[in-house]
Amino acid sequence: MRRLPAAVVVAGVVLLVLVAAHPVAGPVSGPQREAAEGDDTGIELLREAAYAGRTRSYTGTRLVTTWGAAGPSSALTHVRNVPGEGLTVRAETAAGAGTVAVGVDPGSPAAGLVSPSDGMLDVLARNYRVETAGTGTACGRTGRFVQATRADGSPAARYLVDEAGGVVLRREVFDGRGTLTRADAFIELSVPQERAAPRMSGHAWYGGPSLGGGPPNGQVAHLRQRGWDVPAALPGRLELFTAGETAEGYLHLGYSDGLSVVSIFVQRGTLDESRLAGWHARSRGGHTIWIRGLTGFEAAAQQVVWASGEHVYTVVADAPADMVDAAVAVLPHQEGIGAWEQVCRGADRLLSWISPFA
Amino acid sequence: MSHLGERVSALVDGELGHSERDRALAHLTFCTDCRAEVEALRALKSRLRALERPAMPADLTMSLLRMSEPGGPLPPRIRPFPDASHTFGGVPIPGMHTISPPDNRPPRRGRGRPDNRADSSARTGRARRAGYVAVGMASAAVAFGTMFVVGGLGQAPPVVPQMERFANQHKTTAPYVQPGFSEAVHPTPHATPTPIRSPRPVK
Repeated sequence: MRRLPAAVVVAGVVLLVLVAAHPVAGPVSGPQREAAEGDDTGIELLREAAYAGRTRSYTGTRLVTTWGAAGPSSALTHVRNVPGEGLTVRAETAAGAGTVAVGVDPGSPAAGLVSPSDGMLDVLARNYRVETAGTGTACGRTGRFVQATRADGSPAARYLVDEAGGVVLRREVFDGRGTLTRADAFIELSVPQERAAPRMSGHAWYGGPSLGGGPPNGQVAHLRQRGWDVPAALPGRLELFTAGETAEGYLHLGYSDGLSVVSIFVQRGTLDESRLAGWHARSRGGHTIWIRGLTGFEAAAQQVVWASGEHVYTVVADAPADMVDAAVAVLPHQEGIGAWEQVCRGADRLLSWISPFA
Repeated sequence: MSHLGERVSALVDGELGHSERDRALAHLTFCTDCRAEVEALRALKSRLRALERPAMPADLTMSLLRMSEPGGPLPPRIRPFPDASHTFGGVPIPGMHTISPPDNRPPRRGRGRPDNRADSSARTGRARRAGYVAVGMASAAVAFGTMFVVGGLGQAPPVVPQMERFANQHKTTAPYVQPGFSEAVHPTPHATPTPIRSPRPVK
């Protein structure tokens, strides 16, 4: 009998070991992958709820409650959604029912962010662990809880999705310490057509295509070339989703972490504090900011104003207070224009006066 | 031909040209007056040449020699910058009526010993350099000051946040959705909604 070469024998042994090890590795990795997919079932349920909130007609009464530094503030709103036309929100005030918004996107802050777009849900899934968390009831309807959890295990938000109608019955947002800061809850809801609507794919309801990412890099670079400060992100995992200079000459930046929305408006000029009626100056981190106490539906959005250099910053946010404070802290806070900047500007002006090409 | 007149002296000194001299000599052959005048002038010049040169006085010679020595008795100089306060860094600042050439005369005898001339020259050089530095710094300060003042002109206008517009734009902007598809109105106590166009989409 002819003897096999030693190299062939070694190769055969290695192959046998690999084949023998493969069945062992399979059962170990399989359950782990299935468990990871199980964790993501919450985001799929939220996508279904967001889709239902855009494509189904419903009317109801929603209670919006915010817990701020001045205590809780509640507002009763009447909402009506018509697919293709948008959501109409009317808020109960002391003088009657005031219309807040007509035909707005159900994923907008005016609609309570209860039907976020696909792009916003992607950001939510990227920043938080989203998983189902049992069942519950609200306004006599049964639903399933979906909880968004931070990396440290603290809750960031909790949704109750209606099993029959598919819309979000209740939405709660927590701050970094796990304290409830806002709750949007239906106390009455009517969904005439409760059967599932055909799922559209690739586009958000009647609006344009859902933007998967933030603003184009070229657009941000253009704004920075024009002298605007455009942070790509803010503390609290806030990602830039829109940036643009309006025809009125101010800058609008929008940030979101998938749960909250922070809008920043920057105007060129100095803050005319004498005309800030109803605003109160506060010191935060050695800087002076202006806030004002709002009631009713307007209290859901925090508003902060301050001046930095020759710019006036205004922050309007549907976000927990600690997230707003952290965002405000990292934005520019200059007492005035710097001496060197003023010298440089003077040199530019002198050069422009002298140079015939300027 | 008339009398020689002024040409008598030129003829005696030999300053006339050939033709002029010939005509003058021809005139002298028949003009007794001119011939007498020429002879008188020649006699006078001959006597003058025969005279001895006057001797230079000794004191005058010594006085002239002393004037050529350094540090000699010079007249008092009018200072170009009489006011000592008009100096900067050791360099006098010229005024409207004080422009004059620099004083490059050698120092007077009583000002210092000859072996200190090097030190004095070094001090003068340092002072001049310090003056140049001071003038440069002053010029830079004036330039920066001018740029600072010009840069402060036309400060940014005072503004007030357009809160109604900002709040409206915030609440109607759905994240990651193409803008321009929604409308919003401001809260009013009226039951009838009055749609207001949503803010212009950002660029």
